[in-house]
Amino acid sequence: MTSEILHKYLSNEASEQEVQALFDWIEASEENKNQFVKAKKIWALTTLSLDASIESAPVIQMKPKNKIKRYAQYAAVVLVFVGLGTSVYLFNSKSETSKEIVLELGDGRLEYFSGKNETALLNEKGDLIAKKFPTEIIYFGKVQDQKVIYNTLSVPYGKRFKLKLSDGTIVSLNAGTTLRYPEQFGINGNRNVYLSGEAFFEVAKDKTHPFIVHANQADIEVLGTTFNVSAYPENPTVNSTLIEGSIQMSEAVNSSNAILLKPNQMATWQNNSKKLILKEVDPALYAAWTKGELAFKDTPFSTIAKIIQRTYDVEIINENSDLARQNFTGTIKISESSVENILELLKRDTPFNYSITHKTITITNPR
Amino acid sequence: MNHNHSFELNLFHSFKGGDETAYAFFYDKYFRRIQSFSFQFIYDQDEAENLAQEALLHLWQNRENIESINGIQAFLFTYAKSKCLNLIRHKKVKDKFKNDLLNHKERELDIEILNSIQFDTLELTELERIIQQSISDLPPKTREIFIKKRFENKKNAEIAEELGISLKAVEAHMTKALKILKSKLSDYLFLIFILIYNN
Repeated sequence: MTSEILHKYLSNEASEQEVQALFDWIEASEENKNQFVKAKKIWALTTLSLDASIESAPVIQMKPKNKIKRYAQYAAVVLVFVGLGTSVYLFNSKSETSKEIVLELGDGRLEYFSGKNETALLNEKGDLIAKKFPTEIIYFGKVQDQKVIYNTLSVPYGKRFKLKLSDGTIVSLNAGTTLRYPEQFGINGNRNVYLSGEAFFEVAKDKTHPFIVHANQADIEVLGTTFNVSAYPENPTVNSTLIEGSIQMSEAVNSSNAILLKPNQMATWQNNSKKLILKEVDPALYAAWTKGELAFKDTPFSTIAKIIQRTYDVEIINENSDLARQNFTGTIKISESSVENILELLKRDTPFNYSITHKTITITNPR
Repeated sequence: MNHNHSFELNLFHSFKGGDETAYAFFYDKYFRRIQSFSFQFIYDQDEAENLAQEALLHLWQNRENIESINGIQAFLFTYAKSKCLNLIRHKKVKDKFKNDLLNHKERELDIEILNSIQFDTLELTELERIIQQSISDLPPKTREIFIKKRFENKKNAEIAEELGISLKAVEAHMTKALKILKSKLSDYLFLIFILIYNN
């Protein structure tokens, strides 16, 4: 009983009567007083680790707006999300069914990313072109234009990966993404990469060599900075969200149909209407995955389900119509939350039942 | 947490050299902590905010005297402790209760508690580490509630509603959290006590 009053007192919720009882207890013995002093001391000292503790909470919680890091040395920071896939050439039939991250080299050789250590990647001549790590790869060097060789990296559902291209550009790849890029950029010409899925680009500054992301029917040209591109084959849209600097998004086959983005704007290309639409957004929401988090703001359950499927490599079948209409807001740390954790949290808001068989989750109405 | 270490170390050097942007980083990092700590003793959010502002201004003015990055936290908390003691002694702390005797007793206890905390540089980082670890080690539900209460300053009723559990359950979790933390930190605090007396 006293412990309850004690914690109520420490959190400023005890009534005057309760405080009187507490202080009477404190005065009853030296031991009691010591206990109280210790408890309040610890309570006051927990402020020492204020931020750290918030970070370790693995549940859905509304987080305050993230401050966007200053990406001063990078030309452009953009998010690109590519939709409907007619980009067939990006799909390597060997890696489509693979549950592993696969790198296809220029000559067709396949490389995988298991093991814990750094390994060297050599080209056919035996020259060192990159260093491989379990969750990332770093390229270096430049070649003459004619000899630009393309590598293709495929990341399956349930995984994420990071690359540093030979010009210093850093690309984070989300689950279910394929990126085709030059093993080493040419000395002349544009820096071209091809994307299906979602990637976060921090493009190294180089005004003489424009960096262009080819994402399905849209092209995103970087004039200088950090951005996210979302271009999943099952979506009929390409979204690019600009964090810093400036980028131009245009129709691939008609470059005069273009739009210039400013920071905190998202441009959406729609395959159907062939239109480019601009809107103001909070980029932290769209770049959360690069920090290992999923962020939702009034997001409909159908979208959340798609994202969970990709991130955790599961299938979700929803038979609950109420749930399908619901919107949710919150942030989840991917590494600390299982699909079940997430479902349990969503359940509190909108009741439903679910069952899991292997990797398929079926959601039904509550009984 | 530690991957930020060299990043912060660089900022510390810039801050010492008079870089205002680097100072802003530490300002943001510590403001809420100092405010939260002070509130425990002066019971007024606005006054606690003023105190935090003062502490951080003082930090900037004395930047050349801070010897290491750990010294920043020690400096700020020592300032906060002195200021709180000052305010209590000069009866400038808001009276929480109608019964004046209760207010008086509360002040006495707070003075005793503040006097018993020594913010020595080395001890502070070690203590911070232990606290962080102890909070992380709490059982998930208990930790979730503790964090909402302690760091997001939510009322018990709000937490109960948010999580769909009873008020009693929230209170039980808080009691449990405090009990666990007390047992984990108890030995350490005793050590600090000994060190203070030996000084």
